[in-house]
Amino acid sequence: MSQDGNNVSRRRFLSAAGTAAATAALAGCTGGGNGDETTTEGGNGGGDATETETEGGDGGDDGSPQVLRYGRGSHSPTLDFQNSTSGEVAKVTEQLYDTLINFEPGQSTLTQGLATEYSLEGQTASITLREGVTFHNGEEFTAEDFVATYRRFVDSDYEYYGGDDYVSAYGPFTLGAWIDEIQVDGDYSMTIQLTQTYAPFLRNLAMFAAAVHSKAAIEELGTDLNKNPVGTGPFQLENLDDANELIRLSANTDYWGDGPNVDEVVFVTIGQNSTRAQSLASGELDIIDGLGAQSSIQVENASNADLVRTEGINIGYMAFNMASREEFRDKRVRQAVSYAINTEAIVNEIYSGFATQASQPLPPNVLGHNTDLDPYPYDPEQARSLLEEAGYGDGFSFELATFQNPRGYNPSPIQTAETVASNLGDVGIEVDINQQSFGPFLEYTAQGRHDACFLGWYTDNADPDNFMYVLLHPQVEEDQLTDGQDWVSFDTEGYNTSNRSAWANQEYMDLVEQGQSTYDESERESLYFEANQIAHDEAPWVYLDYADELRGVSTRVSGFQIAAISGPYLNLVTLE
Amino acid sequence: MISTRFVLKRLLLLVPVLVGVASLVFAVLHLSPGDPALTIAGERASEEFVQQVRESLGLNDPIWVQYGRFLANAAQFEFGESFIIQRNTSVREVLTNKLPVTLELAIYGQLIGIFLGIPLGILSAVKQDSFTDHTTRIGALAGISVPIFWSGPLLILLFAQTLGWLPTSGRISVLYNVEAIRVTGLVTVDTLLAGEWEMFVSAARHMILPASVIGIYSMALISRMMRSSMLEVIRQDYMRTARAKGQGAKITVLKHGFRNAMIPVITVIGIQFGGLLGGAVLTETVFAIGGIGTLLVEAIKVGDYPIVQGTVLTFAFLFTLVNLGVDITYSILDPRIEQ
Repeated sequence: MSQDGNNVSRRRFLSAAGTAAATAALAGCTGGGNGDETTTEGGNGGGDATETETEGGDGGDDGSPQVLRYGRGSHSPTLDFQNSTSGEVAKVTEQLYDTLINFEPGQSTLTQGLATEYSLEGQTASITLREGVTFHNGEEFTAEDFVATYRRFVDSDYEYYGGDDYVSAYGPFTLGAWIDEIQVDGDYSMTIQLTQTYAPFLRNLAMFAAAVHSKAAIEELGTDLNKNPVGTGPFQLENLDDANELIRLSANTDYWGDGPNVDEVVFVTIGQNSTRAQSLASGELDIIDGLGAQSSIQVENASNADLVRTEGINIGYMAFNMASREEFRDKRVRQAVSYAINTEAIVNEIYSGFATQASQPLPPNVLGHNTDLDPYPYDPEQARSLLEEAGYGDGFSFELATFQNPRGYNPSPIQTAETVASNLGDVGIEVDINQQSFGPFLEYTAQGRHDACFLGWYTDNADPDNFMYVLLHPQVEEDQLTDGQDWVSFDTEGYNTSNRSAWANQEYMDLVEQGQSTYDESERESLYFEANQIAHDEAPWVYLDYADELRGVSTRVSGFQIAAISGPYLNLVTLE
Repeated sequence: MISTRFVLKRLLLLVPVLVGVASLVFAVLHLSPGDPALTIAGERASEEFVQQVRESLGLNDPIWVQYGRFLANAAQFEFGESFIIQRNTSVREVLTNKLPVTLELAIYGQLIGIFLGIPLGILSAVKQDSFTDHTTRIGALAGISVPIFWSGPLLILLFAQTLGWLPTSGRISVLYNVEAIRVTGLVTVDTLLAGEWEMFVSAARHMILPASVIGIYSMALISRMMRSSMLEVIRQDYMRTARAKGQGAKITVLKHGFRNAMIPVITVIGIQFGGLLGGAVLTETVFAIGGIGTLLVEAIKVGDYPIVQGTVLTFAFLFTLVNLGVDITYSILDPRIEQ
């Protein structure tokens, strides 16, 4: 991703800064139930160390250990990357474990990890492993460790399989569904046979969920690995304190890669965004993440911390359910709604400018993002005339389902829904907002019971397929589709319920399927350009926003690389 | 003296209360929307995967089978493993970790409330309508009226950020590994037991703001109750008689008045303390002290059934225990109550 996106946006806050720290802090807290809640997605943050330091956070000079304190909104539910899909889990396991392939820090390109060479040809991935790497338990890393890790994740016949109520959905989603067989050729070489040609495969190997356990630890600890991690990463577990929601890691001095440059890392949980920002400002934390608009202002106002931001790899959208509402099967109606909603105002006013207007399913910094496409402009006139043309000049009404809690890609869902309702009211469409908490909301919309709904997505692997195929392809057998109809019913066998629009555009599907099996980058790129053009024109979603990643970083921290995927790269951080 | 029969009778009464609470929690959770299997599996899961999860958790069993299993396990204080908050960790372990956090905050908060509230209440009653009385009453009113989500951040802003005297959040400096010396789970106690003076100071400094926030609120209620109760007692005949016999005013109030005036105050303290054991959610949230209250709210939000069930039942159990304590205290203060 672009490094020039990492600007510190002081100017943006000048007006807000006038309200003084007190107002900001109080507003942050009293707003606690709304937009300032913790989000599980998103990034890390930055912090600051003040002169009024109340706790000795330094160390180093006098021989005491250098401790990096990382503040976030939620504690890790587990320390096993196979045990949860949560981003909070990944933040810690990324420090403890390594993957075969890594994302370049702060980029979405791939680089060596535990594998020194990797290639994908046809249905075969060939991988050469790094020699001389040892696990925290002293065992040497070999191909057998990867095989045991893989089998523990997806193979229910394996003696050490984690169990159906233990392993996360990433098992089948990123590995199991694509891997046919793994052949081990000696200790440091493997050949992986895929079930089909699948371009994102190497990227899947770079995901946190594809990290490597020690085979000896798997056999010894089983599912107790979720409290006793044994990895090859730059840090090892020193102490897991669930009572105080702290995780203490110490440097792995035998680490094969860069760093670590600090002696210890402590992950600190502070649920309230404003309290977390205050802790940063008072020098009790060094890096914080999960910042909302208000807490970002607090960080901005702190003298010893910087707000660091970069473009995120995510999207927030409103999906039309074409299976449930006839009106939405007419492209002109979908376009009309897209014109009628003022996404610019939503992004700038409601999301406080910490996001950019979206124009297509694929966010920037991902292969295939089509820069020729612009967001739908706010144009109620155009909307009215399209509605007229489609025969809905008198308007109609529909239900908009939304979750209540803020998510990274939609930090104020209710306010956004109200804006949408108000905008559409202006063109004669009546919107009935149906708000639910996130769990029930997911169930409701996955069953296709909504007319339209908000949702969003954070990338798993920064591959276009992870948006285009996962979110807008119906994934049903060819014979289940009806000729000349660009939608399917939610109860179609094998239907991909992540496609909340029920959209099934043949041309789009062909392009995305080709993209999935094409390995040539430029060829792939042009396929996704075209697919994005179709998705933009056909408008199965109203494209709302791509949210920024925000971190608060103390001025005593250097080398911190904000990353929209993977990380945080705490092994690269140095403390003054 | 307290009779064993009295205590036993009260203890037996706990059983139907707890069964009732357990059934209610079970019913509410199963009637509310949301499929825990779907929540656990997450957005990346296929329907087949969700089905596997559902099966392995026994969520496909008939509701009465699930209910029976739940009651049988609950009787042994066994609620299974957390679905989401602490994946595959027993609820018992999660509660063992979290309960002392809440207990410590509740104890200190309540102690501040009691030691400030009772003398202020008495003072206010004895000097009715004086300047002291008015000041105390206004203070108490403010204490009750100011919401914690406002006073908390304000105190943090003043004492932590502006003055830099106290830390903003948590229970102890994150630089200290308090887990290594864990005995009771109460950090102020564990650090003392381990003889770690510096750690104790850190723990005590972290406790000041949150305990004060709770303490001020608690003090306000207690002093108001103490005042009105004492005012009633002061007008009783026996008080006048004591004074007429020549007993000093102070002695009369503290010896004859205090004990009798305490009964309604004990009720307030009991209810409050019981409530605090359920977690001072707002205080815990503002000061990032993850106790049982925050745990419950979080569990409800994400649909972690075992945690919700375990936490609510523990809360009910503790609340009834506190009530038992209150009843026993009554009977000590006024032996007629036992009859």
